[in-house]
Amino acid sequence: MISVTPNTSNTETLDLANLTTEQTALTINDLNLYYGENQALHQVSMAIPKNRVTAFIGPSGCGKSTLLRCINRMNDLVEICRIEGEIKLHDKNIYDKDVDVAALRRRIGMVFQRPNPFPKSIYENVVYGMRLMGVSDRRVLDEVVENSLKGAALWDEVKDRLNDSAFSLSGGQQQRLVIARSIAIEPEVLLLDEPTSALDPISTLTIEELITELKAKYTVVIVTHNMQQAARVSDQTAFMYMGKLIEYADTNTLFTTPSEKKTEDYITGRYG
Amino acid sequence: MASNSSKYLAANRSRLLKDRMARWGVTLGGSMVLIALLMIFFYLLYVVEPIFRSVKVEPLTDFAAPGQGQTLALGMEEQGEIGYRFDDQGLVTFFAVQDKPSQQRQAGQVLLQQQLLDAADITAFDATLPVNNRYVYAMSGGRALIVQPKFSVSFPNNERLIEPYVEVLNDGQPLLIDQQQRQLNQLVYEYDDATMQFAAVTAAGDLLLTRFNANEDFLTGAVTLEASYQQIPFNGVIDELEMTPDLRQLMVRRGERIHVYDVSSDGNVSERQLLISDNKAMGKITTVELLAGASSIIIGHDSGKISQWFQVASDEGRNYQFIRSFDSGNSAVKALVVEYYRRTFYSVAADGELNIFHTTSEADLYHQRPAGVAVQQAVIDPRANHLLALSDGRLHLFDVDNEHPEVTWSGLWHEVWYEGYPEPQYTWQSTSGSDDFEPKFSLVPISFGTIKAAAYAMLFAVPIGLAAAVYTAYFMSPSVRKAVKPTVEIMEALPTVILGFLAGLWLAPLVEQYLPGMMAVLVLVPLAIIATAFIWSRLPTHIRSKVSDGRAALLLMPIILLVGYFAFGMSPLIEDWLFDGNVRGYLTNELGITFDQRNSLVVGIAMGFAVIPTIFSIAEDAVFSVPKHLTQGSLALGATPWQTLTRVVLLTASPGIFSAIMMGLGRAVGETMIVLMATGNTPIMDWNIFEGMRTLSANIAVEMPESEVGSSHYRILFLAAFVLFIFTFIFNTAAEFVRQRLRDKYSSM
Repeated sequence: MISVTPNTSNTETLDLANLTTEQTALTINDLNLYYGENQALHQVSMAIPKNRVTAFIGPSGCGKSTLLRCINRMNDLVEICRIEGEIKLHDKNIYDKDVDVAALRRRIGMVFQRPNPFPKSIYENVVYGMRLMGVSDRRVLDEVVENSLKGAALWDEVKDRLNDSAFSLSGGQQQRLVIARSIAIEPEVLLLDEPTSALDPISTLTIEELITELKAKYTVVIVTHNMQQAARVSDQTAFMYMGKLIEYADTNTLFTTPSEKKTEDYITGRYG
Repeated sequence: MASNSSKYLAANRSRLLKDRMARWGVTLGGSMVLIALLMIFFYLLYVVEPIFRSVKVEPLTDFAAPGQGQTLALGMEEQGEIGYRFDDQGLVTFFAVQDKPSQQRQAGQVLLQQQLLDAADITAFDATLPVNNRYVYAMSGGRALIVQPKFSVSFPNNERLIEPYVEVLNDGQPLLIDQQQRQLNQLVYEYDDATMQFAAVTAAGDLLLTRFNANEDFLTGAVTLEASYQQIPFNGVIDELEMTPDLRQLMVRRGERIHVYDVSSDGNVSERQLLISDNKAMGKITTVELLAGASSIIIGHDSGKISQWFQVASDEGRNYQFIRSFDSGNSAVKALVVEYYRRTFYSVAADGELNIFHTTSEADLYHQRPAGVAVQQAVIDPRANHLLALSDGRLHLFDVDNEHPEVTWSGLWHEVWYEGYPEPQYTWQSTSGSDDFEPKFSLVPISFGTIKAAAYAMLFAVPIGLAAAVYTAYFMSPSVRKAVKPTVEIMEALPTVILGFLAGLWLAPLVEQYLPGMMAVLVLVPLAIIATAFIWSRLPTHIRSKVSDGRAALLLMPIILLVGYFAFGMSPLIEDWLFDGNVRGYLTNELGITFDQRNSLVVGIAMGFAVIPTIFSIAEDAVFSVPKHLTQGSLALGATPWQTLTRVVLLTASPGIFSAIMMGLGRAVGETMIVLMATGNTPIMDWNIFEGMRTLSANIAVEMPESEVGSSHYRILFLAAFVLFIFTFIFNTAAEFVRQRLRDKYSSM
């Protein structure tokens, strides 16, 4: 078994099968997803607790990123994609016809694998979401920039060059800028899709520390290839395999005493 | 071991060779393109360069003037081989001016000498305008003898042999100018096909006008001259007479005043105008000459100034007006010599300096004693490349290199006052039916036409091309896009001659017939599209979900057709209601807007269609290649697709979109066939959308086949090509510069 540093955060263990409404950020019920004829997710059901870090792990192609993208309906962009089942945010199914997708995405932010700052200044990147909502008061925006960049642990590095192009930042800084951009519009949920896979180890570490801090304000869902990372940053972990949710448990439990054979095989490195 | 490693080396060597060959091949190809471009550039310059060369006057031969006495007139035949001299002893002498050993001719050798009349008989002498090539002696008894030097050209032994002979008109008999047979102290003579006209001043100071009309007997073919005699009342001493070769005007100079008489009708001579030269500014008049074409008078003054006058339309009809002056130095103007065909003239100063000017281009071409020779009299040959000058009894032949006096840089780009025009203006008119015509080469109207055509085409093409590109790349479903993109790109391969043909022969009459409908389409179609889109967005979801997002645009097709049909159907009704059934008349009479059938609207649409595929293709690629992670990043922040488009996609694609527009502009500027066929090719300068234009490219296409190789016209067409080259060069350089700046700023990773 590989060595795993257990999550050091002292959050108490939750009963994931029976979360109270206050404890729940998102509920996924019987979710099936098809790409044309091909079914990518099979009957996924899970509850994601509030102000916690939830990690999705699994081998490539297991559907973990697809699941993550369902949560803020990024899969809508794929023409041939069809979804059954429901994802509830505060008892509202986000796939209902009357849901405004843009508004939904403001409440469920997302950070992608590769840093994707816009070709604008650092400042304009951070206030992008605010400007979309029509905020143009300079004082409000200045405050948002400072808070968001502080929240993303980037403020000290860029405060003197906010008007420089975002491309002048290093990869790790860019990724933190993207996180700052996401939290600038104060979402409830932050989805991180392998946020450190394109980064060097030191930047990875910074981001991981940041994730741990973020959960105080946000519910964080992270997809990662890196099991150590899942173990380091998450409170609970979902293991997926072939589009199915195999096991979903407290991170310590899942990594130390997995109840499923497939989970054990995966975390011990027999496949993946 | 050793064989092994050598094997590897051998394999590497062939790879290395291929690699090297590829590198050389690519470098060679690239340099060839660059070299080809430079060669075009320098070839254009090479052809254009002579028009800006300065005038050269090089001495060829000199010899003692043959004949006797004082020189009355000098002349030269067309090839510059033979000169002739009329002297006050009644002799005309033809002589070789250049050595020609194969025909045993040396410069100065007399070829023919003929006594025309007794020296004592001569009372006055006059030469017609050079192009008319006749000379007249006034003889005692109020008579005149008309002489025309002629040359026969034969080719014995395949070599050109020119032999001079003299023709004395009226079968060698003098004509009676004054019925009272008084002595004529001054005489002026001009003629046309049927009429010979003389004006003369008698010893008593009477001004006579005598005209001979040739009547041909239609049975015998014998020609009889019918004379009419007339006296024009004039008070004062006449200094000089001039007559226009159209026989309509007689100019009589008395001191600083020139009286212009209308002598066009028999027995009804009237003074039309009195020109008064500004004595203070110009000094005293020394000589008056008519310029080639006889539309202008040039007046030499004792101050060395030369003024040009020509007729300009005014409230009192066409009157002579002072136009411009030339400065030949401080020495008095002794003689003015005009060229046969061009508006170039030579002035001989009292100090022996030769000056060369061109009137229209206001070019000051030459100012010195050629090869140190103090010129007293001079004459230019018909082709204007040999000058024969008299100096102290010797004749000097000069080679004159003055091919393009009418072209100057300022004349090409500034307003020029052409003969007969009411004011200086930009005009392009390279040819005309008349020999007296003065070519007008201003590149401004045709450069303007190029810009105008391109501007209207861009006005039409940019919105459509960019909107289509953005829609196709960003909103259209991939399956529809797969069909749409190649279709539009194939349009680019459509020969523009077809577009031009359709525009000129189908669209232009259609626009003319349905003008209100056409204008309505331009307004209604965009409005209908927006309205439809709005209504569509308000429709209940269950209706909208029947059509996938990417295909919804296809619903616009029937709407556009319907609106177009409606607009064209309404066109005659609108025309009846609002414009009394005649829009063209309304535009012209009520609004004062000229309407040409082939106009900028037609060109804008037709050339727009030629440019749209270029803009579409490049802009579509630019928008489509905006990284998906940027769009997704924006969408994930709660942006609507529209917000993402305007705030991220267009910004990131801006270098490509800018390139697309500039490429389109480059194409529009260089486009030839459409503007050739659909513009009417009128070189006017007006932004009016209902008038045509002539572009640089169309101008070259139209005029190159009919321009004489090596002529000014030919070289100016090359200059137009060069200007076009520079236009596109500037556009492309600016485009590349801006694109690089944009790319540095906005392109992502």
